[in-house]
Amino acid sequence: MSAWFYRNRTIAGFDNPARSLYVSVRELVENSLDACEGAGVLPGVHVSLQQVKTDSSEVEGMPKDPQVFRLRIQDNGSGIRREDAPRLLGRMLTGTKFTLKQSRGTFGLGGSLALLYGQITTQRSIEITTGRSGEESKHKIVMRLDIENNEPILVHEEQQPKNPREHGTIIEFYLQGDWFRSKRRITEYFLQTSMIVPYASMRFDNPDGESLRLPRVIETLPKQPKEAKPHPRGIDVELLKRMIKESRRSTLKSFLRGSFQRVGESTAEKFLASAGLNPAAAPKALSNENLVHMMKKLETYSGFLAPSSKSLSPAGLDVLEVGIRRLKPEFVVVRQRAPNVYEGHPFIVEIGVAYGGELTPAIRLFRFANRIPLLYDERTDVSSQVIRELNLKNYGLRQDDPLAFFVHICSTKIPYKTVGKEFIGDIDVVRREIDLGIKDCLRRLGEGVRRKRRVHRQERRESRLVGYYEFIAETLGKATDQDVSLVNLLGN
Amino acid sequence: MSLIDDVLGTLADTINNGDFPEIGYYGSSKKNVEWSENGYEPVNAVPSFVDGRKVESAKTIAGLVYGLTCFKEHLEQKMSMSLRDFYYMHKVKRVQEVLEISGQNETNRLINLCERILKIQGTSVPREEFGVVSSPKGTFYGDVTLSDLSGKQLNCSGAGEYGWFISSKPFDVKIHDINIDAAIFVEKEAMARNLIELKLPETLRVGVGSLFGQPGRNMRAWIRRLADNGVPILVLVDMSPWSLRIFSTIKSNSIELSNIRGLATPSAKLLGLTTTDFWRKNGMLTAIEHSLENMSKSDLKCAQQNRKIPAINEDPILQQENEVLLKKRKKGELEAFKAFGLPLTSLRNLYIEYIKRKSSGFDVKLI
Repeated sequence: MSAWFYRNRTIAGFDNPARSLYVSVRELVENSLDACEGAGVLPGVHVSLQQVKTDSSEVEGMPKDPQVFRLRIQDNGSGIRREDAPRLLGRMLTGTKFTLKQSRGTFGLGGSLALLYGQITTQRSIEITTGRSGEESKHKIVMRLDIENNEPILVHEEQQPKNPREHGTIIEFYLQGDWFRSKRRITEYFLQTSMIVPYASMRFDNPDGESLRLPRVIETLPKQPKEAKPHPRGIDVELLKRMIKESRRSTLKSFLRGSFQRVGESTAEKFLASAGLNPAAAPKALSNENLVHMMKKLETYSGFLAPSSKSLSPAGLDVLEVGIRRLKPEFVVVRQRAPNVYEGHPFIVEIGVAYGGELTPAIRLFRFANRIPLLYDERTDVSSQVIRELNLKNYGLRQDDPLAFFVHICSTKIPYKTVGKEFIGDIDVVRREIDLGIKDCLRRLGEGVRRKRRVHRQERRESRLVGYYEFIAETLGKATDQDVSLVNLLGN
Repeated sequence: MSLIDDVLGTLADTINNGDFPEIGYYGSSKKNVEWSENGYEPVNAVPSFVDGRKVESAKTIAGLVYGLTCFKEHLEQKMSMSLRDFYYMHKVKRVQEVLEISGQNETNRLINLCERILKIQGTSVPREEFGVVSSPKGTFYGDVTLSDLSGKQLNCSGAGEYGWFISSKPFDVKIHDINIDAAIFVEKEAMARNLIELKLPETLRVGVGSLFGQPGRNMRAWIRRLADNGVPILVLVDMSPWSLRIFSTIKSNSIELSNIRGLATPSAKLLGLTTTDFWRKNGMLTAIEHSLENMSKSDLKCAQQNRKIPAINEDPILQQENEVLLKKRKKGELEAFKAFGLPLTSLRNLYIEYIKRKSSGFDVKLI
């Protein structure tokens, strides 16, 4: 796996120094956030990116060659057990995992890729310091990755004393990158992440000596998703084969009941009957043709219950609202749609619309998928299409109003359109959920904006009227040499 | 002057009493105007109101009050102002901050409103009376002796190559002596100059005025003054829908200014160029019919709209002219005389003959 990555790193997003730096930061931050949330702690993540001084780094202006950076990421997660640490971080996960739950991992390979990329480009070791709550010491491990064998190599190890209450992991390594061309991207990533993860406290020290601090604004952690077995509609033949291989069940019926969610005794029986398969047959004995036939039936059989949304972890309305409040708008309306399903995958859409305040007069769109911000290909995203087709007039709003839309979709499988995984495809049911959510928000927002405008107009009308009469009184007074008083007309 | 004081005083009292001022007037809609042989007459059917309780109306009243104080000041100092001057008076910082005037249109409307509100014995007081002079233009050449606002006595044939520049307040001009049998008013300056150069005023004992396009208020008032003094008025314009409008404003005044009396001259005659000159068998200009130009899109549109202008549509002569133009889709200009290619003396004779023959059709006999 490591070797495969080494030869195909462009696919995973490490195709140029600027993008590689961005992807590395992003992957490791997401790992940290996952670790903290998994441990049920409010995340605190401190990222420090510093340039390693070399002769060529002194050149002013736009750098020509990629530079070397030291990236340090500290979190307050549960820490890693000493025995697990090298394996967990140093090896690409290829394990067989058939349970599903919502997770960030955009590329499914996590931060290991970033570490590998760092070692490939700088040939320097990786340093991990990790400590668990209740332990008296923490472990510092210096290691390298063996690319050919997909194994970690331990270089150095020591134990350091620590306060038993401290916990968390620090990862420190070197990598090549291009800060000049990725600065905006990385900064924007932190800002948007802080909106969807407002319960995290984040700090980013950048190579220019600036420090971006994003303090926690809410103390609630979203409910953690539960692991769930796959839904029969959400798999393919290849996965089915592997599931059968791993399963210890001896009959098709018990295999179906044991390996899929929402499939019980009667559902399994009915399905097998409609597919013309023998419930007592041994799953491992099925021929390839039979497997394909079964897969087809799985896809088209209408008797399955909808997949469970317990494996999803939406941000929640409170979290979403405080996150949006980071932009200091005047109004915020948030809505969460009921769970829905596409192609056997459950998903939940959460929408927020903000208006006025410190927003600039134009429409902005913030997209999030499984609590990570999507920064690119905005115009092709299904949310953009929905917004473009809105008729804002219906809600008393205008195209040049200060408006910001937030679309968060969480799913066990986000319907990305391309390998780049930066935008969500136009799937009818997803589109419909986004559309209805946005319209619901706009209706509520429109009422508020209209009321505010009405009050504002009334106030302005009165103040103008008073202004005119003051002017009239003054001018008349001068022209007629008499005092003209407004007391009788307008009071004081 | 005392009228302005009255209005300002009334407004001051109203406000001191704690009432919102309300002002009624008659707008310039077609409903408030009727056309007859004597031109447009105000009928004052539908009044409009400025209601001081409303924001926009309060703004109008504020503008009105300010405008009236401006007029008062100017009158006291015996100064006149132009529309543009008045507009710039609203750029005084204190005024601009309150009234936020966006363009000259707004202040022009205010002056128009003043004319409608200030009335003496039911007749609007023209803006000239409160010192506002809107773009005076037009000249007059001929043996007429008068004293204008300068106080000097002069003869209009001895006041330079175009003659006398029409006063901004023709009502206040004193006419001492008139030695002309008719006055010809020409749309275009070049033709008028030619007539003066060829000494036609002396030969025919006529006055020649130059309208410079659509005549200004002062010119219309001057024409009316002459007519009131028994001078037959002849008008020489292009043969086009636009020129029909020019003639109709001389003859009937305009809907917009119908509240101002003394601007219409119902006895004015359309001397030429008429469609009969070119297209009737014995027309004087049939020989140069080929010089006519096609009417443009906007010309045709203008002619279409003329059908909705009472002063043209209800006047039998103008209505017919307009219809012929629409049918033939050609227009003629005063410069057409040059298309004969005649030597100077023959051209002079042609002009004389044309004017004589056409005016005799209106029972105006020239020497």
